[in-house]
Amino acid sequence: MSAASDLSVALRDFSANVRAEGRSLVLRLSGNADMAAKDSLDTLLPRVHAEAQRISATEVQVDFRNLEFMNSSCFKSFVTWISEIGDLERSKEYKIRLLSNPEMHWQRRSLHALRCFAVDLISVES
Amino acid sequence: MMTETPTAFELTFQPNVELISIVRRFLSDFYERMIEDHDTVSRIALATHELLENAVKYASDGATFLSVKFEPGEASSTVSIRLMNRAKPEHIAAVATIFGEMSLHDDPFGHYQIAMARSAKRKVGSGLGLVRVRAEGEMTMSHTIEDDRVTILAQTTVTARRRG
Repeated sequence: MSAASDLSVALRDFSANVRAEGRSLVLRLSGNADMAAKDSLDTLLPRVHAEAQRISATEVQVDFRNLEFMNSSCFKSFVTWISEIGDLERSKEYKIRLLSNPEMHWQRRSLHALRCFAVDLISVES
Repeated sequence: MMTETPTAFELTFQPNVELISIVRRFLSDFYERMIEDHDTVSRIALATHELLENAVKYASDGATFLSVKFEPGEASSTVSIRLMNRAKPEHIAAVATIFGEMSLHDDPFGHYQIAMARSAKRKVGSGLGLVRVRAEGEMTMSHTIEDDRVTILAQTTVTARRRG
């Protein structure tokens, strides 16, 4: 099982890293999440999910503030992750807090769509 | 300020997904000089990126034609994004299926949520690109199929700036 500090991605145009804060995880994304980032995200998010369950996390913050763009393939990775949280027993569910940057205009609609997909699990902050 | 003259941008694109983000950034810069509303520019950029990825992934001969036009009007202006490529029959059928679904869902956001729920369980592909363009890009979508040529047109209106 991974420790949070082992969960990272560093590509030319995209990076992600995870740190633990008590019983929360913070997933920070930056750069450009396009096709080049898809496989890495598909590997990373299930590991974040596993780590969140391992530490009985109450919340995972996902920091989008430095993410320039996310394509629909990467967006789907988040949809799958959120769906898997929703499939957990209620006692094992954790919340996701999405941190957004109002200057990245795409985030308003994309993160709103994610929130509406699982309104009990997701909150959005800017 | 918003430009008052028609502006067009055309590109014939060979398959290289890494270049799509470069085109998106270029288009953002290009349209930020013409459209003062950054949110509108962002919607155009998102739509262009998704449509290009869709076309490049499924172009059977590797070539994709992109055209973006800005046509100013008195009360509102129109931005049209047109993608054309050749595709295999199964991909043409998939495009037709998505457009068929769109015609059954008047509410783009509601359709998007349905597509997201379905996408969550998919093992291959997201099935979200075109639906996202319509919902998040706030685009009116249409398509034509002639033999193996697929053309997708996404359009949005931009409120014209009042003069004086």
